[in-house]
Amino acid sequence: MKSTVQKKAFSKDILHLENIEEVCENIMKKLRTDVAQKLQRRGGVVGISGGIDSSVVLALTSKALGPEKVLGVMLPERDSSDESRLFAEKLAAKFGVKTLVEDITGALDGFDCYGRRDEAIGNVIPDFDPKRDKSKIEIKQNIGQNIPAIFSITVIKPDGEVISKLLPAKEYLQIVAASNFKQRSRMSMLYYHAERLHYAVIGTPNKHEVEQGFFVKYGDGGADVMPIGHLFKTQVYQIARYMGVPEEIISRTPTTDTYTAEQTQEDFFYQLPFEVMDLIWYGWENGYPAEEVAPVMDKTAEEIENIYKSFDRKKKTTEYLRMKPIF
Amino acid sequence: MITEVATKQKVKDYILKETLADVDHISDDTLIFETGLLDSMGLLFLIEFLKEEFGITVEDHELVVENFQSIENIVAFIDKKL
Repeated sequence: MKSTVQKKAFSKDILHLENIEEVCENIMKKLRTDVAQKLQRRGGVVGISGGIDSSVVLALTSKALGPEKVLGVMLPERDSSDESRLFAEKLAAKFGVKTLVEDITGALDGFDCYGRRDEAIGNVIPDFDPKRDKSKIEIKQNIGQNIPAIFSITVIKPDGEVISKLLPAKEYLQIVAASNFKQRSRMSMLYYHAERLHYAVIGTPNKHEVEQGFFVKYGDGGADVMPIGHLFKTQVYQIARYMGVPEEIISRTPTTDTYTAEQTQEDFFYQLPFEVMDLIWYGWENGYPAEEVAPVMDKTAEEIENIYKSFDRKKKTTEYLRMKPIF
Repeated sequence: MITEVATKQKVKDYILKETLADVDHISDDTLIFETGLLDSMGLLFLIEFLKEEFGITVEDHELVVENFQSIENIVAFIDKKL
């Protein structure tokens, strides 16, 4: 029998959560079941960065399990912004959650994370001075170019001079592999606290991070449950407002807080503003033709087709990150 | 001087070796990204191969689909740069 369910016409409101109270209740109910019954743990540990995703996860977890059963752990390192810690503290106070600060700089020094990263940057930009200069990696191509994204390294000198070069394969891989020590060290510390308390680690990735592979395997991708792993970024913002996450956190531009130079998630990875990416991703995932999506997004059908292709590529090339060990 | 035929063979051999693809499945106009033969790391390694094999450095503005989408396009790009 043919389905008679009609797809909604594509519009800018298509991702708006009409029944937000019910959506949050369902997430919290599932979280209680997952933690207490499936995982058989007494509470949850959340790594909090002062960013929107971890803030929403902390808010949902504290309401779901009760604040006394939640521990918020701040995990700064040498390159983290001080602002991040202030926001994280304010958030934890608002939801009555106990917090700890674990500075992971020493662990990262032990891995020679900074030295290995800076060595690779210096191979590409010999003038790079890690003590004075700031650095970041970014994608400079336009997402509509229909060619896989290639990263560049950008170094910013103290006088404001900007030097940017395409990253060769060896150096790109070394920078990423070294930087990933950060997320993996955080994961180790979160599991230390989770195990000593018999808690679960509550992960913070959203739908884009999970599906586009914007996470580190066994780093921030290492968690027991991911309560917002199915939510678009604009929906995470909607829940943040509903749950009463502090406005300073909501109005911050999402950054990676991983490299020394200011780096937005859009520059680093997504190549599109969230409100645009969410809608086009929804269109791609649900089979809306480019011709229907294009006028709503104020783009040409060809541009939408190229963005669809880039989503397809990202999902395929990051499949490895989502795979369980093969045996 | 390296001939276009020799360049094409080198590029094709490289792609076959990298992707472990069946030689019958790759022609000069196969779209190497659209068909999933190469992804972004594949493109990065291809750029490295062009540098090692032909001494070509790819600039930011040259990273466009017209230069890399098929063996034919890559050979034309190499030809233009040499």
